[in-house]
Amino acid sequence: MDWLFFGEISLAGLAMGGLYALISLGFVIIYKATKVINFAIGEIMMFAAYLFLAFAGGMEMSPWVALPLAVLGGSVLGGVIEKVMIRPMLGESSISVVMVTIGVASILVGLVELIWGADPQLLPSFLPRKPVFIGEMYLAPKIAYGFLIGAGLLIVYLLYFRFSRGGVALRATASDQAAAYSMGINVRRVFNLSWVFGSLAASLAGVLVAATGGLSPQFGAIGLSVLVVVIVGGLDSILGALVAGLFIGWLETVAGAYLGGEYRMPATFAVLAVILVIRPYGLFGTHEIERV
Amino acid sequence: MFESILSKGRRLAGIGSIAAALAAAPAMAQDKEPIVFGGSIPLSGVFAFAGVHLHAGLTDYTSWINGEGGINGHPVKYVMEDTGYEVDRSVAAFKKITGSNTVPVYYGDSTGFMKTIASELNSRGTTLMSGASFATALTDNEKYPYQFIPGPSYSQMFGIILEYISSQGEGGDKPTVAFVYSDTEFGKDPIENGKAKAALMGIEVVEEIVTKPGSVDVSAEVLKLRRARPDYVVFHGYVLSPINEFMVQMRQMGLDTQFMGTFWSSDKLIINKMGADSDGYMGVMPYNYYDSAEGGPMLDALRAQAEKSDPDAGYRPTGYMQGWFNAMVWTEVIKRTMDADKELTADNMAESLASIKDWDTGGIIGIPVSVQDMSFPVGRIWRVNAKEGRYEPVSDWIHLD
Amino acid sequence: MRIGDAKQSYEADEAIWTSSTQKIWLAIFLLALAVFPFFADSYLLYMGCLVGIAVISTTGLNILTGFTGLISLGQAGFMGVGGYTVAWLSLNTALPFPVTLLLAGLLAAAVGILVGLPSLRVKGLYLAIATLAASVFLHFIFAQWESVTGGMGGLSLEPAHLFGLTLQSDFEMYFVIVPLAVLMVLAAKNVFRTRIGRAFIAIRDRDISAEILGINLLRYKLMSFALSSFYAGVAGGLFAYFYRVVTPESFPLSMSIFYLAAVIVGGMGNLLGGILGAAFMTLIPEVLNLLTAALTPFYPNAPIFMSPMLEIIFGALIVGFLIFEPHGLAEIWHRIRRFFSLWPFRN
Repeated sequence: MDWLFFGEISLAGLAMGGLYALISLGFVIIYKATKVINFAIGEIMMFAAYLFLAFAGGMEMSPWVALPLAVLGGSVLGGVIEKVMIRPMLGESSISVVMVTIGVASILVGLVELIWGADPQLLPSFLPRKPVFIGEMYLAPKIAYGFLIGAGLLIVYLLYFRFSRGGVALRATASDQAAAYSMGINVRRVFNLSWVFGSLAASLAGVLVAATGGLSPQFGAIGLSVLVVVIVGGLDSILGALVAGLFIGWLETVAGAYLGGEYRMPATFAVLAVILVIRPYGLFGTHEIERV
Repeated sequence: MFESILSKGRRLAGIGSIAAALAAAPAMAQDKEPIVFGGSIPLSGVFAFAGVHLHAGLTDYTSWINGEGGINGHPVKYVMEDTGYEVDRSVAAFKKITGSNTVPVYYGDSTGFMKTIASELNSRGTTLMSGASFATALTDNEKYPYQFIPGPSYSQMFGIILEYISSQGEGGDKPTVAFVYSDTEFGKDPIENGKAKAALMGIEVVEEIVTKPGSVDVSAEVLKLRRARPDYVVFHGYVLSPINEFMVQMRQMGLDTQFMGTFWSSDKLIINKMGADSDGYMGVMPYNYYDSAEGGPMLDALRAQAEKSDPDAGYRPTGYMQGWFNAMVWTEVIKRTMDADKELTADNMAESLASIKDWDTGGIIGIPVSVQDMSFPVGRIWRVNAKEGRYEPVSDWIHLD
Repeated sequence: MRIGDAKQSYEADEAIWTSSTQKIWLAIFLLALAVFPFFADSYLLYMGCLVGIAVISTTGLNILTGFTGLISLGQAGFMGVGGYTVAWLSLNTALPFPVTLLLAGLLAAAVGILVGLPSLRVKGLYLAIATLAASVFLHFIFAQWESVTGGMGGLSLEPAHLFGLTLQSDFEMYFVIVPLAVLMVLAAKNVFRTRIGRAFIAIRDRDISAEILGINLLRYKLMSFALSSFYAGVAGGLFAYFYRVVTPESFPLSMSIFYLAAVIVGGMGNLLGGILGAAFMTLIPEVLNLLTAALTPFYPNAPIFMSPMLEIIFGALIVGFLIFEPHGLAEIWHRIRRFFSLWPFRN
């Protein structure tokens, strides 16, 4: 058993897992506050990546200006989607809201293809190109730095939720809407902000993932892997998103390396199936108690 | 941001849409029946990057051949519909077009479409079909008697690549090879045959990597290749990503592996997107590139027509060459059938196709070509010169037997 | 104009078509369906067959999602099971097509039951994701189990045959697909006149209450999965006979979403809605095609925009119907009908 190789593969997997965790964080923020499963998260990521392409590529801005702009654009998009398409669905059955997000995903894919065309794209490079070595183990620079940037944002988020008023308001609304209302929290604004923050995380992850793997209107398919992460972690658990993100990223890469690329998806979905059977609400999710 | 639509649009407007294509037809003798070139063309959707140029090639050829008096005096009419690269739309287009015209030759936009339409095609017996698919399955003349490939099949492309690799071995030692392909029908197409051929030639396949389709991180796969240290990596089933990642990462690890690809990943897209990193990438291409140093009567005619229809376009991608060559083969087949005083049925045309031996293509392909199993197993290895931004030949024209 | 609604027997109350006007219109419609192929060209026949297959599959999904409230993202997977079963049987046995279709439906139903098992533990969106997982696994099996499914290349079928009669052309397939569709929709309608159908609806509305009322949740949920998957399997089998080739990429996730959209746009929990939704979603691309062809002389770029516009329209339809007309096309249809039946009065 080549431990060095296993270590390298694991590192690559964890780095990817960090990005999954970031996307899942965005997803969980949206779900926690508004109880909506956002199937369009992959497409919001894609849109942000295309914005980066436009700013850094077409308009030739410095990548370090283009990146925040693209992320801002993605966040705004999330806010707009919430205001225009999710808000009217307040109170409707969950399947309807989910289908709305699926519809939104389609619209975004069409929009992107309309504006930028269907050609495959590469993002202008902005991450260092020298390989990273941890001890003897090699780590590809893009995912290493991607992981660091993602982790940075994650820490900012966790601090914000813990200590700032906005963060507390978010958590309050998530745990009990009625109580939050009665405490004077503008719940509608919190809903919108949760989509903005969720899309922010997703947008950053989107640019980083596109930097590693290329971009095309089919980019949104990554949403499938993210879905697995949030179910395994628990739809409303931030800790779950982090832990499951790292785990699924690691597992997917290890399965791909040792079994073959075609086993990546089935391996992660197998974990999903197991979790659905033994702990349906995810490793850290809250069990919803239904009343008649 | 809008440059891509505008430039595409301009190209389309310059070359001609359906209306223009139809108008291009009756420049000649009105008394002879027009011959219809039908097509399910992917002008939009995932294959649009090639579809737009395939269409341009077919349209320009039609204009050109009509300028030359048509085929044996018959004017040519090109009737097409956009399919968005979806099989049901391709089939619907086929039925629409063949329902209202007699269509002796038809362009199919995908392997899926070719396979789906096969049994209908076989029972109709009126149409010969070729298209954007180089799928190995189409060389099975029993199942697909009326479908051909305007070039080498993917397996034959691998064969040509392996021939080249074999020739690069020094003193009896054969280089080692790794296959990297995508987990799709397209990607897996030539792999079994490729492995068999490699075994036959004594080339060791040290690693086989399957990637999941879509935007993926391939660093783990690169790690595997780092251990296998192949001399050559052959990519198939991709257009751009993740070839760039493999190339950049492996070179940074200090490997001096050579990278090669098949038809759809061997165009200027790689050079344009990867820039200097694309230097040294090799591809197998059955036709001369538009800006190839070679010439020939037909190649010159192609360049002249392309200039005429869209003077601002500049370089024309390989899709254009493919579309043009497709139409060339149709013309040749129809001509041979008519000259033998036979009716334009699928059987007769298939026979004419099979009779093509040592055919001089006037510069489109550098050597005379012969049809084998309904394909043209010929190609050449070209290498990217990133500084000049073009492909340059590094091998002779290889014709498999 | 219809006035009053007095029924004098249980039978009359349960009847599907109540007035003679309705029955006459129905007879005209069926006649039109039967006569259509004689006047239609190859292209229209092709579209007709596609709509027929879509109707069967949408009705199946409607039973599961619209009437029982169990969201499924696995419809394409079940259709795939049906399609591959038919393909394998047609290549390896000499069974006539009614038998192979039946077997395809039954096998799909069995798979449906398997997939439905988690429904005891999970509900709502978690169940939807379980069906998604099932779809991914099925896709994996289709692609990897080379000896049976032909791997990535898939299987090519012989045309359907029935005791020597082979069905090759769209004309012939039409007479298999459309009558079958009519039959299956009628069968579905009948289910909802029985206890089973009412149980499904009860589960959708409030499953805990249903259980209290004595409906065995697991049994009926599994039955719903089985029935719905049976329909999907038959639709998949017809798909296989129609296209005469099945590959793993014939039944992608986007097909599941397509059928879900058809159910929603048509009107969830309404069989007529299922039919309207299926027809509408299948014909939209062709309508767009015609529009593009009409616009091309003025805007030569028009064809390039067709594919992205289709995506946008698809998404916009889903969002639009959900926000503005949650009961779908069926509701619009009923409003039109009400207008005519109540005329000259307003309501």
